[in-house]
Amino acid sequence: MIPLKHLCSRFRGTLAIALFLAVGGVCLVASPGRAQNAGGGDSTHTKRVLLIFSETRDLPGNVMMEQAVRVQMLKCTTNRIEFFIESMDASRFPNPQHYRLFGDYIRNKYTGQNLDLVMMFMTRDFTLTQELPAALAGNLPSILVVVNDLPVPELPNGRPFTGIVQRFDVQGTIQFIFHLQPQTRRVVVVGGTSLADQAVMARIAETARSVAGVDFEFWTNRPVAEVYRAARSLPEDTVILLGTVHGDVTTQPVYTSQVVQMLAPAASVPVYVLGDGLIGSGALGGSVVDFEDLGARAGKLAALALAGTPASRLPVELKSNGVPMVDWRALQRWHITPGRLPADCVVGYRPLSMWSSHWELILFVVAGFLAQAITIAALLLLRRRQRRAEAEILKQRTELAHVARVSTMGQLASALTHELNQPLGAILRNAEAAEIYLQADPPNLKEVHAILTDIRRDDKRAGNVIDRMRSLFMRQKLASSTLDLRDLVEDTIAMARPDAVARQVKVKVEIPPHLPPAQGDRVHVQQVLLNLILNGMDAMNAIPKSRRSLVVGVLATKNGNLQVTVSDCGTGISPDNAVHVFEPFFTTKSKGMGMGLAISRTIIEAHGGEIWMHSSAMDGTTFTFILPPAGCEKIKPGDLPALP
Amino acid sequence: MSDTHTKKTGTVFIVDDDTSFLRSVSRLLTAVGYSVEAFMSAHEFLARPAPEQPGCVVADLQMPGINGLQLQELLRKSENPLPMIFLTGQGDIPSTVSAMRSGAEDFLTKRAPKEELLAAVERALARDARERQQRLRLRELSGRLAELSVREKEVLSHVVRGMMNKEIAAVLGINLRTVKLHRTNITRKLNVQSVAELTRLVDETGLFKTPSANPPG
Repeated sequence: MIPLKHLCSRFRGTLAIALFLAVGGVCLVASPGRAQNAGGGDSTHTKRVLLIFSETRDLPGNVMMEQAVRVQMLKCTTNRIEFFIESMDASRFPNPQHYRLFGDYIRNKYTGQNLDLVMMFMTRDFTLTQELPAALAGNLPSILVVVNDLPVPELPNGRPFTGIVQRFDVQGTIQFIFHLQPQTRRVVVVGGTSLADQAVMARIAETARSVAGVDFEFWTNRPVAEVYRAARSLPEDTVILLGTVHGDVTTQPVYTSQVVQMLAPAASVPVYVLGDGLIGSGALGGSVVDFEDLGARAGKLAALALAGTPASRLPVELKSNGVPMVDWRALQRWHITPGRLPADCVVGYRPLSMWSSHWELILFVVAGFLAQAITIAALLLLRRRQRRAEAEILKQRTELAHVARVSTMGQLASALTHELNQPLGAILRNAEAAEIYLQADPPNLKEVHAILTDIRRDDKRAGNVIDRMRSLFMRQKLASSTLDLRDLVEDTIAMARPDAVARQVKVKVEIPPHLPPAQGDRVHVQQVLLNLILNGMDAMNAIPKSRRSLVVGVLATKNGNLQVTVSDCGTGISPDNAVHVFEPFFTTKSKGMGMGLAISRTIIEAHGGEIWMHSSAMDGTTFTFILPPAGCEKIKPGDLPALP
Repeated sequence: MSDTHTKKTGTVFIVDDDTSFLRSVSRLLTAVGYSVEAFMSAHEFLARPAPEQPGCVVADLQMPGINGLQLQELLRKSENPLPMIFLTGQGDIPSTVSAMRSGAEDFLTKRAPKEELLAAVERALARDARERQQRLRLRELSGRLAELSVREKEVLSHVVRGMMNKEIAAVLGINLRTVKLHRTNITRKLNVQSVAELTRLVDETGLFKTPSANPPG
């Protein structure tokens, strides 16, 4: 369950939870194997380990060590380990009486607890090594982890212990200072007053002697509050090296971690430190004690001891190495180029790139965006398809309107031929006559002249017929203009006249004088009107020729619209059929397409008008449509809208 | 216009509601030497007294009011039917068939070659001249036949069937001499010399045709 917990703490956000569940699932699946492994081990009982910190447990170095120890031990053993943690807080309670009480407390508490190992973490001094063994079972293996510069005391004989003594890397840190800031001429060394602090100071002083041309100033006798103040106004070529502080001259207990938090942000110069736990609250860096590594090594030793290696056979490590480490933010603050850093320097607190700090969130957001983008793309695609389909339908409808128009014209085809043959025939006869007049002796030029005038007029007449028809054949798109309905009606009737003559239908026009103009598309309105006129003539096929008459009327309505009516005196449309006349493909004619009225309605409605019909068996049928007056722009130019 | 062509006999009556075409056809026919009368409608033409001289009608098929076919029908029923030539912007088969059945001389489009039109006019005029002759003669023969008494017509009907006088006398129950007297009267009234001539005359007038072969009117 540990990796699971670990994951749980690392991942945040929805995606993290998803991943967590997935990994959790994997862990659950994997756990039987682990259990089996554990069962197969030689030692299955729970190991009990006591960790004792001489200082308060929550100092940064202690926290890091404890964590590293736990992780390392669990990594190195298959046993379950139960940790007990105690801390003495010796800096704040330095009285020897307190040591004894603490020793008694430990003894009372842990006698009979069957401890397997004790680990002691000491920074201030070695007192625990003196006090505790007596409190614990004599054969209990002990691991000492010491971080200070004090001389290692004699340890009680016969006790199985081993450990690590870690010295501060004073020399490395001073070198580090000059590596980063070669222009430094003055180093202010701040330290505490405890024995351990003094030991560090002594080592710094010793190292300082080998550095030529640089002043080392030791501010050990000042209260920390004064140190903070003084540090605010240090000159530019100065740096502060913070040693260890377990207490100042006021004998107030104070920790290095507290000092650095107060000192570093306020100081006018960079602050260098000796422990990695101190980096992060404003200090620039140093060749620092790597508490995590220290904890990991201690954990390894502990695991070996737990596995059965006698502690006395494990040698005590004495280390004085440091890890060059800087705080990126402090580098920026002091304008030190990262290029100056040693190659192996650990750079902490570098603002992580968006990716490394928020990759789960980025992944999630990107996934979200992708999903959204795909959805949008899909929707756009659908919309485009739909639009294309609509455009296609529109196009087809426009084409259909055109076909219907051409078809209407087809009904007029014989009439059209007649209409053209009249002037053409006249031209021919005139030309033939002219030939004869020219051959006469003397030629009758006066008559030829009259003939030529007639020919010209007939030619013009034929041309007009063609022009009139062509506009109906060619144009498709709606284009609005001012319409003189009298002219339009007469023109349309002229087109239908030969047909009317052939069918012996009398066509009557009823238009009042001073008719205001309408607004609309001439060709399309003409198509509607022609369609209604031809329909009207068709409707009278069954009645005697003498009674066939068609009335086309135009008038302005009260509200300013123009109303056009086409009335036949046929036998009317049956009520059953009447409700369907405007529907596409509805027809009662054997050769009809059934589109004429449907398209007429589409056209009129596109003009913002309306079309309706009234029919009775007695009076015949009247179709009426309304068009807006000139200047009333209701028409939408372009393709025809959809059919109903 | 008199100075154009050799004057031809016969009058062409042109009926067309299309002024322009009417004028052009009149012009052409005048130019080739016909006397021409132009009418804007069938009504106008029918209002004119029937011509004494041979003539023909050139008419548009499609006209408001009385159209070409109706005009043909009206003329056919009149005393002096004139041959008709139809001119049309575009003829359809039913109209053509109807026109030709009713005895139209020709059925031409308005843009037919001049030669066709003139040939048709020439034929129509010739036909009218011929038919006028026939009608005159028939009218004269009918007049003569009308002078015969009922008995003489009875005798005549048997004569043209080739019956001998004796047979006729037997059939009619009259004596032979009476039959002979009737026959003398018949040849005198009809002004014929022989039985053959008499038979031809009776054939021409269609006097004794069976009713089915000679419909009334």
